[in-house]
Amino acid sequence: MSYALLAKRIGLFMASLLFLAYVLAPVLWLVSSSLQREANITSVPPHWIPHPLTLSSYRAIFTAGDPSASTDDNASFVPSTAQYLLPALRNSLIVAFAVVVLNLIVSVPAAYAMAKIRYIGRDLSVYFMLATRVIPDIALVVPFFLFIRKLGLLDNLGALIITYLAITVPFSVFMLLNYFESLPDELDKAARVDGCSRLQTLLRVFLPLALPSLVAVILFTFLASWNEFLFALMFTQTPASQTIPIIVASFTSDFTTSFSFINAAGVLAIVPPVIIAVLFERYIVSGLTAGAVKG
Amino acid sequence: MQAPGIGRRWLAKHSVNASDQRSALLLLSPMMAVLFAVAVFPILYSLWISLFDIKLTRPRSTPFVGLGNYAQAFADPLFWTSVERTLIFTVMSVSAIMVIATLMALLLNQEFRGRRLLSTVLLIPWAIPYVVDGLMWKWIYDSGYGALNGALYQLHFIDKYVVWLGDTAKTLPLIANAFVWKEVPLATILLLVTLKSVPADLYGAARVDGANLWGRFVHVTLPSLRPGFMLVIIYEAMMAVRHFDLFFILTEGGPANASHVLAWHIYVETFRNLSFGSGAAVAYLLALATFAMSYVVIRTVGNRI
Repeated sequence: MSYALLAKRIGLFMASLLFLAYVLAPVLWLVSSSLQREANITSVPPHWIPHPLTLSSYRAIFTAGDPSASTDDNASFVPSTAQYLLPALRNSLIVAFAVVVLNLIVSVPAAYAMAKIRYIGRDLSVYFMLATRVIPDIALVVPFFLFIRKLGLLDNLGALIITYLAITVPFSVFMLLNYFESLPDELDKAARVDGCSRLQTLLRVFLPLALPSLVAVILFTFLASWNEFLFALMFTQTPASQTIPIIVASFTSDFTTSFSFINAAGVLAIVPPVIIAVLFERYIVSGLTAGAVKG
Repeated sequence: MQAPGIGRRWLAKHSVNASDQRSALLLLSPMMAVLFAVAVFPILYSLWISLFDIKLTRPRSTPFVGLGNYAQAFADPLFWTSVERTLIFTVMSVSAIMVIATLMALLLNQEFRGRRLLSTVLLIPWAIPYVVDGLMWKWIYDSGYGALNGALYQLHFIDKYVVWLGDTAKTLPLIANAFVWKEVPLATILLLVTLKSVPADLYGAARVDGANLWGRFVHVTLPSLRPGFMLVIIYEAMMAVRHFDLFFILTEGGPANASHVLAWHIYVETFRNLSFGSGAAVAYLLALATFAMSYVVIRTVGNRI
């Protein structure tokens, strides 16, 4: 028995190592090569561990707009477009926050109605919401582009905020619907007997109880907006509205840009999502499972 | 005065209270307005566009061509290349996701120290943007300085650096690898939930019946994972069929159209050839294919709500 136990322990340990290597190695290499000088990561074979460690690529990002900033040997490989990274971070944050707020305003009442009110057309509205969830984003690009151009909203953050609702609202409603359904109907009846209107019942009784799923919805819509690439690529044209994935992608197609600089830009773009993933792991996992499995 | 009477009788027949009906519609209206504006209307408009020959290079003349754009798409060998590339990419990606996610879910279903760490770390690929996933793997695959070459060289698997993405036979599997890496976490979480829902008595009963570890896996674990497998296959196939970002970052459809998938084909038609009508037609075909697939989802999974 003890041999079996030992074998099991060793097996689990080895499996865990493989698991960690598969998931983390690519990201660790990205981080490591962003902290090195170009010469060290382009040697054959590359230096795996940063030694000496340098922040010059990060410094290049944060001083890109400043002509008086000192230049070192890495700076010659930094594209002039590096100065758009920080404005792009700001654009991404604005879009993500706006999409989060609009999602809550639109999704919470709808999910509550679907979960707790008896009305004619309920099944129809649920199926309708589910159907919109599966429209591929690429099928929306052409009509969106023509609309946005006609409205004069090309290169405007508003265009991104509105179109991102198409890819986030159905999922938000879906997750909240599942959560509201798991709360007892008696709560609803009791609040109504006490004279609460529907809106009051939702705001005073259900919203505080639904906090975990609200957190999940906020996180998901934030991440979806932060990461979105296709719409941003089509509907933005200048750094005035370009989000972080667009600026980062523009570096990858330029063969003269230094790898350590590209990797530093990539690391900058994943800092917020990774922090969210690590801090809110429980909310995310329960949200994902509610949003997918129960549905 | 007749209409409200009929309406009330109709509500009564469904035992629905009139004020409930009103407040439900009111609460639903913001979502309905948004979904009509950003989903229903655009997808119908897209169908309409696909019936015209719209070229941005020729803005004044947009003749009606009926199903001409669809006929043209079907006659275009590049369209069929993209269908074939998309199917290969999808099958490769989904099978790899299934195998890796099943193994990971089985591991996370065990009780051991460090399990929490693994499940937290697992969310990192899921959370990061596809653009960064793409640039990360592009850098790893780099023919001159990439980590893949470096590692294989140091381990003496290769004696000189290899051109990875530039090789038509290797392009799709390598892009699929970058896709799989980012999709595996979600699939693992979904399968893990399914595993957790397997009643422990089932394993007990199997043990009483004399089933060994392998027997319990084949006769208890695998069958009970079936709903999870279904969900993951359908969801991931839908994601793979429409995927665009990695193709843009890693290969731009190349080399020699080896990664010219449907999403890339639509992009090229629309934004490089500026032929919006035919781009919309192919996009519509993709949407229809996705709807057909998701009809299965809604029928099998959706009716549990």
